[in-house]
Amino acid sequence: MICRTATVLLILAASALPLWAPQAREAPRPKQESLAIVVNQSNPINDLAFSELRAVFLGERRHWPNGRRITLVMMEPGQPERDAMLREVCKMGEPDLRRRLLQGLLTGEILVSPKTLATPVGVRKFVFNVPGAIGYLRPADVDGSVKVLRIDGHLPGDAEYQLWIPERAAP
Amino acid sequence: MKVPVFLFVDSMRRRFPSFRKLVLFLVIAIGMNPGLLRAQANSEKSPDPQTLQALLDRIDRLEARVRQLEAARAESPVATSPEPQRPAAPPAVVSPEPAQANPTPEHEAEPSEHAEAERMDLSKTLLRIRGFGDVTLHGDNQKGDTTSFSLGQLNLFVTSDISDKFKFLSEIVFEGGPDNLYGQPEGTRNLFTVDVERYLVQYSHNDYFNLSAGRYHTAIGYYNTAYHHSTWLQTTTGRPLLFEFEDRGGILPIHNVGVEAFGRIPSGRLGLHYVAEIGNGRSSRTPLEEEPVQNELDENNHKAVNFAIFARPSKIPGLQAGFSIYRDLLTPVAQPAVGETILAAHAVYSLTNFEWLNEALVIRHAPQGLGHIYQTPGFYSQISRRFGSYRPYFRYQYENASPHEPIFPDIALRAGPSAGVRFDASESVALKLQYDFIGLRNQPATQGLTLQLGFTF
Repeated sequence: MICRTATVLLILAASALPLWAPQAREAPRPKQESLAIVVNQSNPINDLAFSELRAVFLGERRHWPNGRRITLVMMEPGQPERDAMLREVCKMGEPDLRRRLLQGLLTGEILVSPKTLATPVGVRKFVFNVPGAIGYLRPADVDGSVKVLRIDGHLPGDAEYQLWIPERAAP
Repeated sequence: MKVPVFLFVDSMRRRFPSFRKLVLFLVIAIGMNPGLLRAQANSEKSPDPQTLQALLDRIDRLEARVRQLEAARAESPVATSPEPQRPAAPPAVVSPEPAQANPTPEHEAEPSEHAEAERMDLSKTLLRIRGFGDVTLHGDNQKGDTTSFSLGQLNLFVTSDISDKFKFLSEIVFEGGPDNLYGQPEGTRNLFTVDVERYLVQYSHNDYFNLSAGRYHTAIGYYNTAYHHSTWLQTTTGRPLLFEFEDRGGILPIHNVGVEAFGRIPSGRLGLHYVAEIGNGRSSRTPLEEEPVQNELDENNHKAVNFAIFARPSKIPGLQAGFSIYRDLLTPVAQPAVGETILAAHAVYSLTNFEWLNEALVIRHAPQGLGHIYQTPGFYSQISRRFGSYRPYFRYQYENASPHEPIFPDIALRAGPSAGVRFDASESVALKLQYDFIGLRNQPATQGLTLQLGFTF
């Protein structure tokens, strides 16, 4: 009887131990900046719901309201902007995204696979040149040649904006 | 630093047409300067001809670059981004830090996919090919079967952007025979044949209206239009019994030749979609045809129609639920015509790490003049969960046809579980091990073990 009671007490004590343990020191979070969603200046869209943005980047939306075909522009795998997009919007890793895109092409739901470009300059110029294009850029890489979309009514930099990315390391 | 040097060279070249000679002269003059010569002597560093040649080569390259840029600017005055307008971003977007000079070269801009794509661009390669395949080792306790390695379907998935609105899509499948048409083998064993499983021209007007013409997978349920002929995409080693292909003993009209319209229905967060199809339907069972899909000739003037509707609520990513109704008239030789109705419903929850597929349907065959309707119900439920590269799964399936069923009397009862594990050896290669148990009416149950290597390329 005593042994059983002692065992129960031991288990209870062990389960309470984590409460007393000193909190693990959190690693300092890197400074964040917002990730802007950019489209061609001729695109009539100014605001996208976050769920719509997800649908666009997963290939579930194929056309803009003006009938223009959506052309996705992604940066190359491994780029922090692409990682942020996969993490925050697509909610999946690189292999899962590729599988999903391939399945979308197979089912015909996705018309064309995303255009992959190496640099923010390339993304900006592509979006500038292709009326149906949509891509993502750091604020510092945005200029007047492309239009920045509001997401759920918020612009990059707003506190409620949902897309964030660690700041670019100083050269 | 590239820009100032470049601009300097450019301006000098404009001022002095024989810029190269001027540079030579300067180099010689500097070289002959006594002070410099003394300094050089002191430092024991003499200007060797290789250095001079390197400088000249560099000037040549810079001049060539200037000519190239001038030519590019003359050809496309609006094709490049207006770089000087950089600070014009919205105030909320611009970082307080100065814009970082981007070290990337200018040739990154790719204006090739310009919107004016309604004409055929002969300079572009339109065709894209992806492939799927599998190699399988299978053994079971069925009488007459042997444990064998077998080559699965080699599927070449071909797409082509004909224009901005039109697209071509096809699946060309090479597979080993013989075909199994409702239990009767057709063709020769170990011989590969080619099937064009899908062959579609698709017109995309907008998200609400798309039109396809050709040979397509009938939108009955979920499975048939989710995985098509790719084994690699499927979690399991094969399709559920209900959705087996016609030439593998399946009971559904998996393929159809005709026209289909599909798209979204304005429904907000409910995410409704529709599919409407009209086609030749399948050929009648009797007499048995070599090809159950009526690719070029319908056996009657009655067309098969199918209508499906499903929802993908945006609040619950991964959920899809819907139903479909298919109607056709089969006209077997020397038998009364048979009205065919297929009612199907599905509820699927598919995330990257978790999958739960549920489908149920009933096939109703009503021979005209007999006053009796034969109903064949069937369902399957499949669940899987991913743990790293491993994905264990379980499926239970059931289909039950009457022994007097006028179209497929050989199907009878088939029901049982399957369990297995999928291991993703790489992003494009999956190894699957599956055990199947299928209970049959008035026959011993079959048990089988399958090891499959599925891949995409």
